[in-house]
Amino acid sequence: MSSATSLAVTDPRRERLAALGRRAVIRLAGGVLVLWAVASLTFFALRLMPGDPVLAILGGPSANPSPETIEATRKEYGLDQPLAVQYVFYLGRLLQGDLGVSYSQHQPVTQVLAEQGGATLELTVAALLLAWLLVLLLTVVTAGRGRLVGGLASMAETLSAALPHFWLGVVLLAVFAFGLRWFPPAGSDSLASLVLPAFSLAIPLAGFIAQVTRESLELTLDQPFILTARSRGLSDLAVRFRHALRHALLPGVSLSGWAIGALISGAVVCEVIFSRKGVGRQLYQAVQVQDLPLVIGISLVVAAGYVLANILVDLLYQWIDPRQQEAKP
Amino acid sequence: MNHPILPLIPLCAALALVGCERAEQRTVHSDQPVHGGTLVYATDREPTCLDPHVAGDMPQVFVAQQYLDSLVSMDSDGRIGPWLATRWEVSADGLRYTFHLRRDVRFTDGTPFNAEAVKANLDHMADPKTQSSTAGGYIRQYRGTDVIDDYTAVVRLATPYAAFLEVLAQGFLGIQSPTALKRSRDQNCESPVGSGPFKVARWDRQNQVELVRNPDYNWAPPTAKHQGPAYLERIVWKFIQEPSVRFASLQAGEVDVIETLPPESHEAARRNPDVELIVAQRPGNPTNGTFNMRRAPFDDIRVREAFVRSADVEGALKSVYFGEFPRAAGPLSVATPFYSGDFEDSQNYQPARAAKLLDEAGWTGRDADGYRTKDGKRLSATVLIGARTPPSELTLWEQVQATTRQVGLELVLDQMSDAQVTARQAAWDYDIRTGYWNTNTPDVLRIIFSSAFVQPAGVGGYHQNSSGYADPGFDALLESALATQDPEQRRALYHRAQQQAAAQYLQLNTYPQSTRLGIYKTAHGVRLEPSLAVTYLYDAWVSK
Repeated sequence: MSSATSLAVTDPRRERLAALGRRAVIRLAGGVLVLWAVASLTFFALRLMPGDPVLAILGGPSANPSPETIEATRKEYGLDQPLAVQYVFYLGRLLQGDLGVSYSQHQPVTQVLAEQGGATLELTVAALLLAWLLVLLLTVVTAGRGRLVGGLASMAETLSAALPHFWLGVVLLAVFAFGLRWFPPAGSDSLASLVLPAFSLAIPLAGFIAQVTRESLELTLDQPFILTARSRGLSDLAVRFRHALRHALLPGVSLSGWAIGALISGAVVCEVIFSRKGVGRQLYQAVQVQDLPLVIGISLVVAAGYVLANILVDLLYQWIDPRQQEAKP
Repeated sequence: MNHPILPLIPLCAALALVGCERAEQRTVHSDQPVHGGTLVYATDREPTCLDPHVAGDMPQVFVAQQYLDSLVSMDSDGRIGPWLATRWEVSADGLRYTFHLRRDVRFTDGTPFNAEAVKANLDHMADPKTQSSTAGGYIRQYRGTDVIDDYTAVVRLATPYAAFLEVLAQGFLGIQSPTALKRSRDQNCESPVGSGPFKVARWDRQNQVELVRNPDYNWAPPTAKHQGPAYLERIVWKFIQEPSVRFASLQAGEVDVIETLPPESHEAARRNPDVELIVAQRPGNPTNGTFNMRRAPFDDIRVREAFVRSADVEGALKSVYFGEFPRAAGPLSVATPFYSGDFEDSQNYQPARAAKLLDEAGWTGRDADGYRTKDGKRLSATVLIGARTPPSELTLWEQVQATTRQVGLELVLDQMSDAQVTARQAAWDYDIRTGYWNTNTPDVLRIIFSSAFVQPAGVGGYHQNSSGYADPGFDALLESALATQDPEQRRALYHRAQQQAAAQYLQLNTYPQSTRLGIYKTAHGVRLEPSLAVTYLYDAWVSK
C-alpha cells in the first residue's frame, strides 16, 4: 500500500487509488482497534462476572469435585494468576493467533470454529440471498403502484421488519414442520433443514431492505430518464429491473453490510430453535458455562467478519461514487 | 432429516402403503428381536465430553452407558451383581476390596481387560488432572489398587465405604481401555474406548454421536435380557434442544426414542397409539429447596417447619406439571436403596400449624403488606433462581410463594445468572438454594447434610452441604452406615438418618428427578439401566 502511495503523485487515477489505499489502511487499523476492544471487553466482562469458571468447567452446581481437582483445574487454565497477568498472557497468545483451548468443549477454539463456522456461514448467506430475492420479487414489483398496493406492501414490509426471529422461527416450525411436515424440524444435515431457519432470518431482514429500497425506488421512478425509457416502449417490468433498480439499489446494499451483524445475532436464536450446528448456538452455550476462550474466539471471528464486511462496503462506495471522498477528507 | 435406508421387510416393498403399515403393525406386536438396523435417539443436552470420568454430568452417563461396562451391576431392587468383576470380598475393616475379574473381556481397541485396567481406571478417576467431579467425588476414599495377578485386583480405601460397590455400578465409573486412557484428556473425550455393546464411531458436535455395534460383545450384565452382541447395528444419538421439537420429531417418526419428554407432552404421548412412554424416578435426593440454617430466619427450626407446612407443593405440582410429577417429601427419592416411605407425610401442607409455629417463634407482628414481623423486621426468605432454572421450576416456586404468603411469610424469588448463584452460594448469601442429587446410594445424605461438606471445597469456595447443617451425631450415624456391609444394619442406620434429616426440616422437597422416554412404534426393547435410571439400548431393536 505504501509503495502505491509514493508512486502515485501525478496520475489522477493513481492518486485516487492511493487515496483509497490510505483509507483502507486507516480503516484496517481502526478494525484492529475494534477487535482489541472486543477481546478486552469480553475478557473483563466474563472474568469480572461473579462466580467461578472452575465450577462451570467441573460440571456446574450439582458436581462434587474434590479440593485437589479444583486446584489442578485452576492451575491448568492459569486461573490462579492475577487478572492483569491473565489478560496480558491472553493478549500475547491472541497476537500469535492462538485462540486457546475451550474449557467446555475439550477442543482448541480454532477447531470448534472450523467445525461450526461453515453451518453458520451457510445459514447467513442463504438468509441474505433469500432476503434479496424477497425484496426483488415483492418490492420492486409493487413500488409506485398507487396508494392501495403500495400502502399494503409497505405495511407488510414494516410488519416483517418488526418480527422477532424467535417468534417467526416458532411459527414456521409450527406450520411447516409440525403441521404440514414439509420440512424437518431439526438438524443441519440436509438442504431441506436449511429452509425454515433461513426464512426466519430472511423475512425480517427483507422487511428492512425493502423499506429503504422502496423509498429510493419510488424517487427513482419519478426521474425523467424513467419516462424516457418508458417512451422507448419498454415494458414496465423491464423499466423497473433494468433501469430503476440500478439507481435504487445503493441504500439496500449498504444496509446489507449492517445486516451481517444482525444476521449473526439472529443466527444464535435460529440455531437454538432449529437445533442446527453453528457458532451462534455454540456461543450461547459457551456464555452459559463461562467458557472464556470460546466466547472470545467466537466474538472475535464474528467481529472480524463484521469489520471486514463494512470496510469492503465503505471502499466499494468510494470506488463507485468518488464524490463521497471529497465530502469526507 | 435424512432417513437411513434400511433393509425393509421385502414383503413391505411390494405392498401398497396400507398393506405396509399392516405389516409393520405385525412386527410391532411380535416379540422376536430383529438384528441390524439403526435407532435414532434424540436427547436435549449434548455432553461436553464422552468420557464420563471427566466432569460427570447426566448427558455423559446416558451416552456412555452404551459403550462402557462397569465393574459391578445393580438390579432394580438395588442389589449389587457381577459384571466385569465376577465376585469380590471385602475385608473385615471395610478398607480392602478384592475383585476377581472376568477373563474373556476385551476393549474395542483390542486391549484385554484385567487388573491393570481396573487400576488404570480408578487412578484416572482420582487423578485431579482428569477434572472429575462425579466419579472422582464418589471415590475420595480411594488410596490405590494392588494388582495381585492378571485377574485379581485389591482396591485400598482410606476409610470404610460401604457405598463403594453402589457407586461402582454407576455408568459414571464405567471402565475404559487403559491404552486409550493414556492419551490426552481431550482426545479421550472425543473418542473414549470401552468394552460395551457399542463403540463410538464419530462425534459430529452440536449434531449427533454415531455409535456402532461391538460384534465381539459377550459379557452383558445379569440385568440384561439377552447375551452376545447387541441387536442394533448402529445408534444415532442426536441433540435436539427444544422439547417441543423433540416431541414433534418423535410423533413424525423422524426419531425412534426421545429423552426428557416434557411433562406437558405426556398426555399427548399417551393418546398417540404410535408412542409409548417410559417414566422412571431417579434415585438420590429429590428436587428441593434447601434452607440455609446459618442465618435468620431459617436458623430457627420452627420457621423451617412453618415454611414447609405453608407451602402447598401438591397443589403446585398439579397445576405446573399436570399431575405428571409425584410428590417426593422425604430426603431420599423412592428409587434409592434403603429408602423409607415413613417420611412422605412429614412435609404435608398444614397452614394452621405453620401459623402456630410462627407465633411460637415470635413472628407475631404484621406490617402494612400483611407479612409477619419480629422486632420490626419482616419475615422474608430469598430463593436463588439461576438462569438455567427451567421455567416450570420457576412457576413451581411462584406457586409456593403464593401459599407461604397466606401465613404471612414473604418468599422472594431472586433471578440471576448461574454464575451469580454460584457466588451467592459460596458466600452463604441465600435463604433457600434449589437443587437435587442423582445417585444410587443413600450415602448422598452425607454429601448434602454432613459437616464435612459444609467446608468449601477448594478456593472456589462452594460447599455441597448448602443447609449448613453440622451435627456430630448425624455425621457419626452416616459414618457407621458406611462401616457395615450388612444390608439390614445399613437399612436401620439409613432409616435413622432419613428420620433425623426429615425432622430437622432441612429442605422443602418437591418432586423426584425422573427419566422420561418417548418411544415410537419402530423401537422395541428399550429399557433403563437401574443404577441411575439411564437409557440402555443393548436389548433394543428396531422394526422399520
